[in-house]
Amino acid sequence: MMGRDGYNSQKSKGKSVGYFASIKRRKKIKDTIANIVLVFLVIFALGPILFMVYGSLVSHDAVAQAKLTWPVRFSNYVEVFQKLPFGTYFRNSLIICFSVMVIALVIATLAGYALARYKFPGSGVFGILVLSTQMLPGMMFLLPLYLQFIRIQERIGIQMTNTLHGIIIIYAAFYVPFSIWIIRGFFASIPGELEEAARIDGCNKFTAFLRVMLPLAVPGIVATAIYIFLMAWDELLFAQVLLQKGDVFTIPVGIRAFIAHTLARYDLLMAAGSVVTIPVLIMFFSMQKKFISGMTAGAVKG
Amino acid sequence: MDIQLKKSSIGVKKKSTGDLLYSIKQNLFAYALLLPAFLGMLFIHFIPMINGIRISFLNLNMKTMKQFLNAPFVGLQNYYEVLFNKESLIRTGFWNALRNTGIYTVVVTLCTLGFGLIMAMLVNREFKGKGLVRTALLMPWVVPSYVVGIVWGFLWFQDSGLINVIFHDILHIFPTKPFWLVGRNQIWAIIIPTIWRGLPMSMILMLAGLQSISPDYYEAAEIDGANGWQQFWNITLPLLKPILSINIMFSLINNIYSYNIVSMMFGNGAGIPGDWGDLLMTNIHRNSFQLWQFGPGAAAMVIVMFFVLIIVALWYLFFKEDLVIK
Repeated sequence: MMGRDGYNSQKSKGKSVGYFASIKRRKKIKDTIANIVLVFLVIFALGPILFMVYGSLVSHDAVAQAKLTWPVRFSNYVEVFQKLPFGTYFRNSLIICFSVMVIALVIATLAGYALARYKFPGSGVFGILVLSTQMLPGMMFLLPLYLQFIRIQERIGIQMTNTLHGIIIIYAAFYVPFSIWIIRGFFASIPGELEEAARIDGCNKFTAFLRVMLPLAVPGIVATAIYIFLMAWDELLFAQVLLQKGDVFTIPVGIRAFIAHTLARYDLLMAAGSVVTIPVLIMFFSMQKKFISGMTAGAVKG
Repeated sequence: MDIQLKKSSIGVKKKSTGDLLYSIKQNLFAYALLLPAFLGMLFIHFIPMINGIRISFLNLNMKTMKQFLNAPFVGLQNYYEVLFNKESLIRTGFWNALRNTGIYTVVVTLCTLGFGLIMAMLVNREFKGKGLVRTALLMPWVVPSYVVGIVWGFLWFQDSGLINVIFHDILHIFPTKPFWLVGRNQIWAIIIPTIWRGLPMSMILMLAGLQSISPDYYEAAEIDGANGWQQFWNITLPLLKPILSINIMFSLINNIYSYNIVSMMFGNGAGIPGDWGDLLMTNIHRNSFQLWQFGPGAAAMVIVMFFVLIIVALWYLFFKEDLVIK
């Protein structure tokens, strides 16, 4: 830039000053427009969230009529835990999400490592199978699985619907394929020579994986863990069909039932909405950097 | 990656069976690692899928539920019921849902990717408070989708909803207060929240793509006198194409199978799904688990899968050359 500046100023000083001034002015106008657009985007992004938080702090009428009222109250948060067994829903959701996270991560890490590190008969077919599961709709499995679960209950006597283990098995299997794909990308970016060196130093295949390769893939595994947790936290369809009794409800099913069976109290709904957003908020912003780099690395490597 | 894998497996097949056995024996460790994932996919994905296709040919409803796969075989009657039977309510609902899902998927995909790219470019500059703005723009992604359905349901109220209050009462942009949760506008009432929640993820991926482009290209273009538009069309877009292609795929599939927001907004929430507020998944869910018509439900599902298969095939033809990554 400096060089070109100097060259121009030597050649025709007056013209170049005007030229660069106009470029500068145009850049300033562009920047201002960009900033104005950004302001609108930020309002669009934050508006509904602020409305939710505001609604959780005022009365039902104020939410229903979009009125501004003062002072705010925090009693909605107390009431939401009294009026509906929100504590139970919260506990169920946390149990399900963490179990699913652990189970799916273990399975996906093993498979992702195998796919990234070894070429063997059937590895290509397996990769295609993993991808093809992503094209299939959940509803396609839900219907037969629901009937299958009822059949297992009748024939073998193991309770499957209305249980946490039933839904944990399904979620875990459900989030494994995509997790395999992300984790595979991470293992593929780790040089294979490291494993060979470990083998020469006396590790067998499994300990080389466990002690050398696994620690190096931790960033990818953490990103995948967050992804699985958030997906399971957000799942409504399967939970709604497979969990029909109040004591096993997850949060989405519980909130849905609350809307359906009681007089809707908008202020309480907003409070419930704010409360269930908090775990995601903590999870996401405490590990934002890791999560974003992990997800984008996986996505870019495809 | 795919292509490489395919080549290697073809290469193995050409060898004699002895070599194949040897290489299987050599890789027993890899097979052991894959086993749990394979079993999970087999029992939760593939066997249920085959059962689902079988159910689409059976008369499976509340009465015959106990028989499961031994329910009476009815051939293509379920497909007829869903697609052509003029007297069937299931048919009307299915065609409406199919049309809505088509509009919904196309609009949401275009807007999420388009605005996501614009947002990424706006944030990919130097300005004061950059970190804060980025965080603010990411916030919608943190809200669980079922909560999105509830909150936006309130925003859309005709008389007192915040949208109509802002755009009619305060800014006077709308001449009257439109109904959002009844009639044709229902489709916008589900499209806009979906875009709202999808934008942050799209922005993150686009930002990663933008930052992977070397600034040298832009410097060279600047020296050659290319203006902003030319730089965008000739540098940014072609180099983003691999990321765009993958995102288009995921967005299309995710939105065809979209359920949570609509179900929360119209299921038992603020409104009732009319002709314009129903998507395929909510429609099939209602037929299967509220009317207990498993046969037509499964048939509708198979039809949807067929559509998705066509879309994937078209996508593959269109973006074939972008998929060879490393």
